[in-house]
Amino acid sequence: MMALNLRLLFVALAVFLCGFRTSQAQVSREYQIKAAFLYNFAQFTEWPTNAFANDHAPIVIGVLGADPFGRALEETVKGEAIQGHPLIIQHYHRADEIKTCHILFISQSENRYMEEIVRSLKAKPILTVADADGPVTAQVIIRFIVENNKVHFRINQQAAVQAHLVLSSRLLRVGEATPSNGRAP
Amino acid sequence: MALAFGAFAQTNEVNTPVELKRLSLEDLLNQDVTVVSRRAEKLSEAPSAVQVITSEDIQRSGATSLPEALRLAPNLEVAQVNSHDWAISARGFNNTLANKLLVMIDGRTVYTPLDAGVFWDVQNVLLEDIDRIEVVSGPGGSLWGANAVNGVINIVTKSAKDTQGLMLEGGGGSLLQDFGAVRYGGGNGTNLFFRVYAQRFDRNDTVFPNGDDADDSWDMSQGGFRVDWYSSDMNTLTVQGDAYSGSEAATNGPTFVDGQNMLARWTHTISDTSDLTVQTYFDRTWRQIPDSFAEDLETYDLDIQHRFALAGRQSITWGAGYRLMDDDVQNSATIAFLPPKRNMQLFSGFVQDEIALVPDRLQLTLGTKLEHNDFSGFEVQPSARLAWTPDERQTVWGAVSRAVRSPSRVDSDLRTPGTPPFLLAGNPDFDAETVLAYEAGYRVRPLDRLSLSLAGYYNEYNDLRSVDSLTPTNFIIGNGFKGQTWGFELSGNYQVTDNWRLRGGYTYLNKLLWSHRPGVLPSVREGNDPENQVLIQSILDLPAHFQFDAVGRYVDTLHNPHVPSYVAFDLRLAWWYKGKVEVSIIGQNLWDNQHPEFGAAATRQEIPRSVFGKVAWWF
Repeated sequence: MMALNLRLLFVALAVFLCGFRTSQAQVSREYQIKAAFLYNFAQFTEWPTNAFANDHAPIVIGVLGADPFGRALEETVKGEAIQGHPLIIQHYHRADEIKTCHILFISQSENRYMEEIVRSLKAKPILTVADADGPVTAQVIIRFIVENNKVHFRINQQAAVQAHLVLSSRLLRVGEATPSNGRAP
Repeated sequence: MALAFGAFAQTNEVNTPVELKRLSLEDLLNQDVTVVSRRAEKLSEAPSAVQVITSEDIQRSGATSLPEALRLAPNLEVAQVNSHDWAISARGFNNTLANKLLVMIDGRTVYTPLDAGVFWDVQNVLLEDIDRIEVVSGPGGSLWGANAVNGVINIVTKSAKDTQGLMLEGGGGSLLQDFGAVRYGGGNGTNLFFRVYAQRFDRNDTVFPNGDDADDSWDMSQGGFRVDWYSSDMNTLTVQGDAYSGSEAATNGPTFVDGQNMLARWTHTISDTSDLTVQTYFDRTWRQIPDSFAEDLETYDLDIQHRFALAGRQSITWGAGYRLMDDDVQNSATIAFLPPKRNMQLFSGFVQDEIALVPDRLQLTLGTKLEHNDFSGFEVQPSARLAWTPDERQTVWGAVSRAVRSPSRVDSDLRTPGTPPFLLAGNPDFDAETVLAYEAGYRVRPLDRLSLSLAGYYNEYNDLRSVDSLTPTNFIIGNGFKGQTWGFELSGNYQVTDNWRLRGGYTYLNKLLWSHRPGVLPSVREGNDPENQVLIQSILDLPAHFQFDAVGRYVDTLHNPHVPSYVAFDLRLAWWYKGKVEVSIIGQNLWDNQHPEFGAAATRQEIPRSVFGKVAWWF
C-alpha cells in the first residue's frame, strides 16, 4: 500500500514539474561571456587597412539573425575604442544587408543558412563567428563551443587567411586551432 | 546526484558585462557558463582525486562502449572479462561484482541492490551524447552516499541544446560485428530543445586460451530521448529516458536483458549563491540468466538539494533523498535469494559546509551523510577536506573520510545451492563494510600547456565480506576481513603542440587483507588488483583533415587468480569530409593475438585483437 502511494506521489511530482510557469528569459551568462569574447576578438584581430574608411571609422560588430545578447553586447562595447576605432553594434536579418562589418556574429537562428551566408561573404575582410555547436559550420573563422560548462572557441586559420585577416598569436594559442573540419567537442 | 558534484565548488566570479570584458582571454575561458552549474567544479581546485574524461578524449580513443571509455581514466581499474562482462573499480577490490564504486548516469544511480555492483552490459549510452565522465577515486560517501567507498563515476550527457540536427553512424568489424545509431535533435531554437536516438550493436565472441570461440556473442538495441527546457534564467527542466533490450549467448542458453528508465530534474536558481534542485527517476531492469536466476528490479528515487550562502564565507549544501527498490528474483536449483521478493527502502540526508578560511586561498569543507537502509540501519559518513590554493596554478589538498558499503541481497539473502541443504547462506546480520580514508594531493599547471595531478591515499577497511565456516559443509557470509591499502595516482594532460595532445597516468596500489577470526576462508571474491597501471592517450590532428590517435595501457600481474601482466594499444585513423562526414578505421588490442584480463586460467576468456570501420554523418 505504501509502495502504491509512493508511485502516485512520483506521478504527481512529474506532473507538477512539467507544469511550472514560464517567465521572460533573461540574457544568459553564456552570452555575457560570448559578448566579452567578441570584444576580445576585436582586440586581437588585424584588418586590412582598406577595411576602414579612415583612422576613426568604427569597428562594426554585426549580429546576424536572432540577437541572443539582450543588452550585454551593447554594455560590453559601450565607450570602448581600439586603436582609435570606436566599437558599434549593428543588426542584420539577412546576409545581403551587410555593408560595412568587421566582426559578424552568426546567430543560431541562421544555422541552416550557414553555407550560403559564408559563401556570400567570401573574400570580404569579416571575422565570422558562428554560435553553432555542431560540426555543420561551413568555413566560419571562429566557432564558439560550450564544453564542460565553459565557453571555448575554435579557430579556422585557413578561413582567416582567405578573409585577409591576421589573428594574433595569442588568440590562436588560446583558441583551439583545429582543421577547418574539426568536430564539435 | 550529478548536481551535488559541484559542492566542492568555490567561486569568485565576475558577473556584469563590464567586469567580464576586463578579463584576459585565458580567464574568460575559465568562466562557468551557467549559474546553476557554477558549482560545477573547477578541476584545478577540487580537493579530491578527480579525473575528467572529455567528449573529445572518448571520440578520439575509438571507444565503442562505456567500459571502454572508462579505460581512459588513469585512476580506474578496468578489465574485460568476456564479450559483455567487465570488472571495474578504483583503488582496489576489483571484481565482476565490484561493490565499492558508485556509478551514476545523469544523476541516476545504476546500482543493483542484489550485489551492490553494476551490470555494465546494460549501461549503454550513445557515446556521441556524452559531455564528460567525472571519475573520483577515493571516498565520496559524505556527498554521494553508500557505495562511494573507493570512488564515484559520474557520466554526464550533453544538453539536448548541444545535439541539434541529424546524426547517422554505422560500421562494423571483427569483434564489434556491426553497429548503427541515429540521433535527431530539434527544438524551438531559443529555450526548448529535444533529442531522440536509437542504437543497436552485435558483438562477436571472445576466445578461449586455445583460440576457440567462447560463444558469448551478444546484441543490444536501445533508444531514448532527452528534453531540456530553459523556461527562464531561473528555471531549467530536464526530462530524459531510455529503453533497451538485448541477449547474450552462452553454451547453456542465452541471457536476456531489458530495461526502461525515466528521469526528471528541475533546477531553480534563487540567487547567485543559492539554488534548489529536485530530481526524481524511475528505473526498471530485468535479466534472466539460464540455470542461475532472473531478476526484476524497479527503483523509484526522489532527491532534493538546496544550497545557500551563510555569513559571506560559507556555502551550505544540504539534501534529502528517498529510494524504493522493488526487487523480485526467480530462483533456480543452483542459486536462490530468500525471500525471493523484497522491497527495500533507503532514506538519506546530507549537509556540507564549505568555509573559505582565507577567501580564494584556503578552503575547508566539512560534510556528512546520514543514511538508513533496511539491512544495517543508520550509517554515518562524514568527511573533512582542506584545500590550499597558493596561486591559480596549484592546489594542495588533504582529506579524511569515512564511507560505508551497505549490505546487499548477496550478503543477506543468498543461498547456494537453490534448495536445502544449503552449502552457503547469506547473513541477515551482515554489517556494512567501512573504510576510513586518508588522502592528500597536489595539482599543478607548471606550463600553460601542461597540467599534472598527484594523489596519495591510505585506507583502512573494517568488516569486509568473508565466507565463514560453521561446519566443513556449511558456510555463512560474515564480516571477517580487515584490510588496508595505500597507493598513489599520477595523471597529466600535455598539449604538446596546437595539433597534438597527450594525456595519461600511472597508478600504484598496495593491498593487504587479513582476518583474526578462526574459520574464515580466504575471500577470493574481494578483488584481484594490479599493483602498477599505466595509461597513455595521444590525440593528433594531421594535415588534409586526417586524425591519428592512439591509446596504450599496461596492466600489471593479477595474483589471485593469476592473470599475466599485459600491454594493449588501440589505434584510430580518421578522415573528415567537409566537417560533415567522418570515416574512421579503429584497431583495438593490437599488441597481441589475444590476452586475458581477468579470471582463473581454467575458465576465463581472452580478448582478441579486433578491427572495425565506422562512418558518421552530421546533417
